Amino acid sequence: MAMIKNIFYVGIALVVLLTASCDKWLELKPEDGLIREDFWKTKEQVAVAVNGIYASLLEDRLVTNLFAWGELRADMVAYTGFATIEELNLMRGNMLPSNALSHWGQLYFSINLCNTVIAFAPLVLENDPTFTQEQLAAYQAEAYAVRALLYFYLYRTFGEVPLQLTPTYNDAAIERKGKNTKEEVYAQIVSDLQWAEQHAPLSHGSIAKDKGRITRYAVHTLMADVFLWEDRFEEALAACDKVIDSRRFGLINAENQSMWFNTVFYEGNSNESIFEFQFHRGKLNPFFNALINANRRFTASELVMEEIYTYDLINIENYDRRGNGAAVRSSDMIIWKFAGASGGQQDMRIRTADESFAHWFVYRYPDVLLMKAEALAWLNRGAEALELVYQIRERAYALETTDLNPSPNSAEDIAYFILQERAREFAFEGKRWFDLLRYAKRNNYAGINTLLEAVLVNVEANSFNSVRNKFRDPNAHYLPVFVDELERDPYMEQNPFYR
Amino acid sequence: METHKKISSNVLALVFACLGMILGCVKENIVVETTEQVSITGYFEANPDKFSEFAAILDAANVSSVLNAYGLYTIFAPTNEGVRAYYQRKGKQSASDFTAAELRDLVLFHLLPDTIGTTAFTDGKLNRLTYYGQHLVTGVANVGGVSNTVINRQANLVEGNIAVNNGIIHAIDQVLEPATQTVAQLIESNPDLQIFARALHETGWYNRLNVLPAENPDPDSVRRWFTVLVEPDAVLAEAGFPTYEALRERFSHTGNPADPTDSLYLYVAYHVLPDARYLADIVSRTSHPTWAPLEVITSKYMGQEVLINDDIFNGMHEPGIGIDPAASDRSATNGVLHIAQGHFNIKLRSPIPVYWDLADQPEFRRLPGFRNGSLVHTVNLAQGGSHLEAIRWERDHIQYQANAGEGHFWGDRIMIPMSGTTNIRNHWVEFTTPLLVRGRYKVWVCYRTNPRAPIMQGYFNGVPLPRTLNMAEYNIGNTPEGEMEALGFKRHTNSSSNNFVGRLLGTIDVETTDRHILRFEGIAGGGDANGTWWDMIHFIPVDMDQLYPKFQPNGEIVQRPAN
Repeated sequence: MAMIKNIFYVGIALVVLLTASCDKWLELKPEDGLIREDFWKTKEQVAVAVNGIYASLLEDRLVTNLFAWGELRADMVAYTGFATIEELNLMRGNMLPSNALSHWGQLYFSINLCNTVIAFAPLVLENDPTFTQEQLAAYQAEAYAVRALLYFYLYRTFGEVPLQLTPTYNDAAIERKGKNTKEEVYAQIVSDLQWAEQHAPLSHGSIAKDKGRITRYAVHTLMADVFLWEDRFEEALAACDKVIDSRRFGLINAENQSMWFNTVFYEGNSNESIFEFQFHRGKLNPFFNALINANRRFTASELVMEEIYTYDLINIENYDRRGNGAAVRSSDMIIWKFAGASGGQQDMRIRTADESFAHWFVYRYPDVLLMKAEALAWLNRGAEALELVYQIRERAYALETTDLNPSPNSAEDIAYFILQERAREFAFEGKRWFDLLRYAKRNNYAGINTLLEAVLVNVEANSFNSVRNKFRDPNAHYLPVFVDELERDPYMEQNPFYR
Repeated sequence: METHKKISSNVLALVFACLGMILGCVKENIVVETTEQVSITGYFEANPDKFSEFAAILDAANVSSVLNAYGLYTIFAPTNEGVRAYYQRKGKQSASDFTAAELRDLVLFHLLPDTIGTTAFTDGKLNRLTYYGQHLVTGVANVGGVSNTVINRQANLVEGNIAVNNGIIHAIDQVLEPATQTVAQLIESNPDLQIFARALHETGWYNRLNVLPAENPDPDSVRRWFTVLVEPDAVLAEAGFPTYEALRERFSHTGNPADPTDSLYLYVAYHVLPDARYLADIVSRTSHPTWAPLEVITSKYMGQEVLINDDIFNGMHEPGIGIDPAASDRSATNGVLHIAQGHFNIKLRSPIPVYWDLADQPEFRRLPGFRNGSLVHTVNLAQGGSHLEAIRWERDHIQYQANAGEGHFWGDRIMIPMSGTTNIRNHWVEFTTPLLVRGRYKVWVCYRTNPRAPIMQGYFNGVPLPRTLNMAEYNIGNTPEGEMEALGFKRHTNSSSNNFVGRLLGTIDVETTDRHILRFEGIAGGGDANGTWWDMIHFIPVDMDQLYPKFQPNGEIVQRPAN
């Protein structure tokens, strides 16, 4: 009898426990992770959290976004029959709010990791006496800089975006407040960078870390880009000079093309490099399926060789080192910068699936020189600007046919020359669309026709007029807020072009 | 037992409590409908602030119930403001002031089969006809820096792609009104097109262009629609025809413009295309048949201009005629009207030979090793990864091979792995020829022998060529050239090696002056991984010298020596 009674009670207790476990509030601690109170005790934990930020930058979706936003609407990438309908719609000027390519969630995921370090790393000072204020500031500077970088991508891609500046460690902390204005987003980027500039380390102790993590030079470079975007030329120039004057970076001569390709693009972290996302054998980039294998979705567009690099039809030994054999393989227009295991004019070997670890090149030294040239051009120092452009061209053996030979007195002509030089230099590095937009919007959209021409490259002839007219609306230069975001946040407003 | 009972009742209470907890933590999620989405009609009813007027029209036209049922439709729905503006234009107060038939026509002009999202909008017509029987055209207009999608040049899109369970709704700010004039009437009523209008009357074309598609007896539904490229009076005057009489004087060689062989009749017929082809359709294809028998116009997009008959012929560029984009794309009840910016007519050409160097494709010209004699240069072109404008092939790859040695024009060739049996090589390859003038030609394929090549059958525009192509065949030695020609062989270079063969595949009739499709299919033999080696294809008019010129490896072209 007592036995039965016990079994009953035990059974009932079990049932109660089992049924109750479906109520979240009974369980305070998450089962699959650490909670804040247990973390943020030692400086090693801060290091882990900062590493986590960089690791999150290697997520497939993030780089996929950066490539799509920076290249697909422009003129250097073409689609194959394997591109998805969403990719085709973006490339053909048919962007809709339901197109998942405007999903910005992955960037906010990384931004949240930055916010977490910024907010909680100071707690470690109380617990770990070996953790210094300087170390803290250095870590936080990395977080500020990465956050600024990601917001800068969002700012250029969407215009207005919500500024999420505090960590969201639970549902209640997620703010539903709609988008901030462009001015607010821009001001935040600048102030984050100004903070980071003060505290970011000059070096992390090894070449790989100096290229894979934020250094002060990376912050200066990003600042130059940020200032240039809003035509703040004096400040952009000053930021570039800080990098140049450090004498830590240089241009690698490309005469031996296959060696140059190997150093700069296959291996990565070269002397030209300022900041790269460090894909490796253990964490491959998402480009094998997109750019390399037989079902690749994208290739270089025809005009990459025809108009951007061009050929010397008389002397085969004379070729732009950045074109066939580096950025592309002209026989099949594969985007070689990410696909090539070896570059050069002969025996070009393609990367296998397990070799698809080409870095994502955020900034290379030529960017600093060309940004400086752009700033100089608009500061009426055209001759100095051209000197820098020719420095880039000479090291890359650019063909004479692509030398536009602009007058040192014409800022417009020099700016266009720089735009095209940037296409050659940074082909497929996710910069072309932003370069075109920066060029087009300057002086109240004086350069809009250049943008329209580029937009039409992937558009079918029966839609030329429609797409051209769409892109005459500046709001069309920015992507829509993805439908899910609109549903989640009642204050979120859609870009008027997509309403 | 007493305690047991007591326990049992306690237990029961606890069990119920637990049950309550179990149930309490499971969300009730009972689906009572197959879909939560509303129908087209339901959507309008749910949004009376925007669509009550249009809903009233649907009711009065007796189509509400249809649009509430299963189906797949695209509907352009004018907002209340748009509908009221329409009433005002028509001097009416409400839907009840129209007849049910009028409203039904109105609704049918806004309604299309299938779901057509905004991503399918182009510069031209939607790919489905409205239920009313006329096309709708789309476009984008930019006014004051703001871009809007425009439907039928009459309404702006307010909100697109509203998905409902029986289709898709596009909200628009104005009511769409169908065209009321035929192409013929459209031309006649335009004071700038009077000379052409007169020519239409005199040639009898006016009556043909004045028939509605529904009443047109032509069994081919495409031919019940017309696209007319009109030359306005000013253009004709510029070209030397200030009056209709001047035009007739110049062209009407039989004196009877209504005679289908009369040149004025043909001039008009050459300006009329079957099918409703908006400019977006015209630029989507490179050539278009006209009502002038076997004559085509070609079209292309240059810069921001649509050009017709802008051709490269016999190595010479013939500048084309622009189409006025603002004045064109005028919809009629039975077609569309375009305005030409210049005078054009059928080009009288006599057949000229085309010696087509297959290794000279624009894409190959971009290769660093193109015609580079110092280098054995092989480039693989995979189908899908890279394309050639003029050559399509089934699978795998083809190669451009420079420095292929003597016997090849410019020393290069293309290699195509072909097979008649296995499925690892190409079963077919298709060439789009250069422009061929209407006439009769002998077709020669010039190749290098590969003993393992398969036997292929050629087709010109789908018509089999009389002789199969066996690229394993060697040339015949020690035979005078005249005899070789009689046997269907020639030497197309100066090489006397029997490895190099020009092989006659027969005579073809080129019926229209255009680019045409020459296709080869493997019919026997497994083929060779090293492929078939193609140098040139010659199309030589039947009455011309078939043996000369010859084409040297250094690029020199040698004419027949004078005797």
